[in-house]
Amino acid sequence: MGDPILELSGVGKRYGGIVALDSVDFKARSGSIHAILGENGAGKSTLMKLLAGTIRPSEGQMKVDGAPVDFRSPTEAARAGVVCIFQELSVIPDLSVAANVCLADPPRTRFGLIDRTRQIQIARRIFADMGVGQDIDVDARCSELPLSKRQLVEIAKALVRNPRILILDEATSALTASDVQPVMRLLRRLRDQGVLILLISHRMHEIDELADTCSVFRNGRHVETYRSGARTDQQVVQMMIGRPIEQIYPQKSDPATFGPTRLLVDRLSWTDRLKNISFELRAGEIVGLGGLDGQGQQEILEAVSGLLIGVEGTVTLHGGDGTTGTGSFALVSEDRKTGGLFLPLSVGRNLTATGQGAFSRFGIVDRKREQAYARGLVDKLQIKVGDLDSAVETLSGGNQQKVVLAKWLAVDPDILLLIDPTRGIDVGTKQEIYRLLRDLAAAGKAILIYSTDYDELIGLCDRALIVYDGQIAASLEGAALTEENILSSALRLGVTSPAMQEARA
Amino acid sequence: MSDVSVTKARPKLPVDGPTLANILAILALLVIGGLQYPQFFSPTYLAQQLQTGAFLGIVSAGAMLVILLGHIDLSVPWTMTAGATVATAVVGSDPQPWISETGLLAGLLVGATIGLVNGIGVAILRIPSMIWTLATNNVILGVLVYFSGYYARASQPSTLMTWFGTGRTAGLPNILIAWAVVSLVVLFVLRRTTYGRNIYMVGTSEVTAYLTRLPARGVIVASFVFAGLCSAFAGMLLAGYAGQSYQRMGDPYLLPGIAAVVLGGTSLFGGRGNYSGTVAGAILITLLASVLSIMQAPEALKQIAYGVVIIVMVGFYSLRDTRS
Repeated sequence: MGDPILELSGVGKRYGGIVALDSVDFKARSGSIHAILGENGAGKSTLMKLLAGTIRPSEGQMKVDGAPVDFRSPTEAARAGVVCIFQELSVIPDLSVAANVCLADPPRTRFGLIDRTRQIQIARRIFADMGVGQDIDVDARCSELPLSKRQLVEIAKALVRNPRILILDEATSALTASDVQPVMRLLRRLRDQGVLILLISHRMHEIDELADTCSVFRNGRHVETYRSGARTDQQVVQMMIGRPIEQIYPQKSDPATFGPTRLLVDRLSWTDRLKNISFELRAGEIVGLGGLDGQGQQEILEAVSGLLIGVEGTVTLHGGDGTTGTGSFALVSEDRKTGGLFLPLSVGRNLTATGQGAFSRFGIVDRKREQAYARGLVDKLQIKVGDLDSAVETLSGGNQQKVVLAKWLAVDPDILLLIDPTRGIDVGTKQEIYRLLRDLAAAGKAILIYSTDYDELIGLCDRALIVYDGQIAASLEGAALTEENILSSALRLGVTSPAMQEARA
Repeated sequence: MSDVSVTKARPKLPVDGPTLANILAILALLVIGGLQYPQFFSPTYLAQQLQTGAFLGIVSAGAMLVILLGHIDLSVPWTMTAGATVATAVVGSDPQPWISETGLLAGLLVGATIGLVNGIGVAILRIPSMIWTLATNNVILGVLVYFSGYYARASQPSTLMTWFGTGRTAGLPNILIAWAVVSLVVLFVLRRTTYGRNIYMVGTSEVTAYLTRLPARGVIVASFVFAGLCSAFAGMLLAGYAGQSYQRMGDPYLLPGIAAVVLGGTSLFGGRGNYSGTVAGAILITLLASVLSIMQAPEALKQIAYGVVIIVMVGFYSLRDTRS
């Protein structure tokens, strides 16, 4: 352990009347991986933004290497060696991977133009350092990469600036299992070189594996800092939420209670991405799509939603009354920043976007009913929001996701299609969303969910379809729905069902 | 940091920041003008200013809906001219009032049709509005010049158009009343209708609007149609006011119409802006032109003053946005 490279005293941040950080005292040493834990809205992201220079504190003082600092921009912070990788992806889709990596300070030729050859060399070296050199084509456009690889680009962008304090704000939440390992090795190596790594993550096992020090935040306050391993998971969760949690996933339903078929997908194909996909989804059922990232899971949901052109095969939706072709559905998209929300618009406008018919006549809005409608949704999903008129982008990630869900639930769809709905969300909110989905299923909805989290597939879903190279490699349910089976089907290693194991024994 | 008090929640003002800034700028202009020319404060003069501002005001009302969507309508000048020319042509075709007064309807129909073509090109063919409306503007120009170009056509307004353009009701210029009515309609549409809400949502993110199953295309087409109607209506009022329709009559309204919307705090990227700002912006531009004329400023100085006002105001909004 090195010296305290980072020191905060009495640092606070207020937005209007809301206190995001409340006089925080905090220290971190160089050569350590320091995890920051807390629920959504605990102040973790605000703290990181202060350090990264995107916002300035309302009060208090920050010191780096014992010298007081006041970052007015991310560039100033980077100059002092503080670099942040944010949860929100900020790669420029139309530029190449190499151009994105070198974006902040591109290498120049002697004429002052960007030196593409060196740019590519730099990018190659960084990815090789990260241990993912083979997986990334630095010439490719970022828009062509799946989310997981884009996140790697984001990490490379930060590393190229040689940080002394590296902040990862949920920067691993979109990584697939195969990408997480190299990133973890890289972080350990950086630590050994004397870098301070501040890690925000909701993946507890990642924190257990990586962090040497942990600090817990709650309601904008610094609750406690302890050596990793000094507290049990149970204690940590209690510190984070101030109450014990019993069970993350709700009780699954009995397959006998499932109703009629709601969604029938028959020999669905699309370009070379989807091949002959057939499955059905029944009322009351929660079915998960799993497997390695980018095997066509997202395309299946998009094809079912009618967003893709040139789809072969048939998709049939059955309505609540059993009539064919009348079922309504909602697609809760992967990236709530671009597909799900009108970020600068108010929470109220976002909540009421889908259900305008409920509070308007001949296109004229009844504002009292509109207000009541939005309030009703806020209460139903327990969205933490003070003022319906505040912009939805000011809410925490978990609450934003709740707004997306609320806006769709308001129109009462028969079928719910979800893409990683709990990505980057804290345990408490995750649990609420699981509970909600299970209640919806019990009320007769059919739910199809693409999740990159194996835990979620096992804990939440009644059945999991493992997708490999545009095909359904396995359908796992009941006792066969285990992490081992998911992994082996995802990697095409063959499934071992309990029955087969018995037969072998 | 010592300025903790700044972060306290501010009380809500009845008008938004840009509108307030415009009102302050208008008051400043009145004081500057009034110090040199006392007649500046006379109600007659002010009413006259509002009257000249009404054409700009009506054009910018239509322009605002399009700009709120993140689009732009560059066909304003020749939509105005086409509306006025067609209306006066109908008037000239027959002196009977029940025929000549249908000229107004014909003009509006022309405006709506041009708007429909604009909307279809932008929303359905997905051609950038800046190119598509520039093209339609040129086509209308060509068509009008081809049919009426080189010799005098009927250009006299109808009785009703003249009444709109020059008449008064209860002491108020009718044209001002027309602007007020258009403004009330736009205010109501933006604040109280689902169509108005959809404009803001489509303008913020068309992708999200599409995924949310809002009728994004319909909203875009309808807004271009509304803009076309506003332009044609303003053109006919101008013909009534000036006593005739003439080529290039719409030319001075394109950029000021857009400037009024932007001065009023509406973002050119769409999704943000209040109509009160647009009204204040139109008045500010009109008053600025008038003050400079009264001061007998040379044309070059007028252009500089005009540019400086836009730079200062828009720069101020931009600073304010990056601070918050």
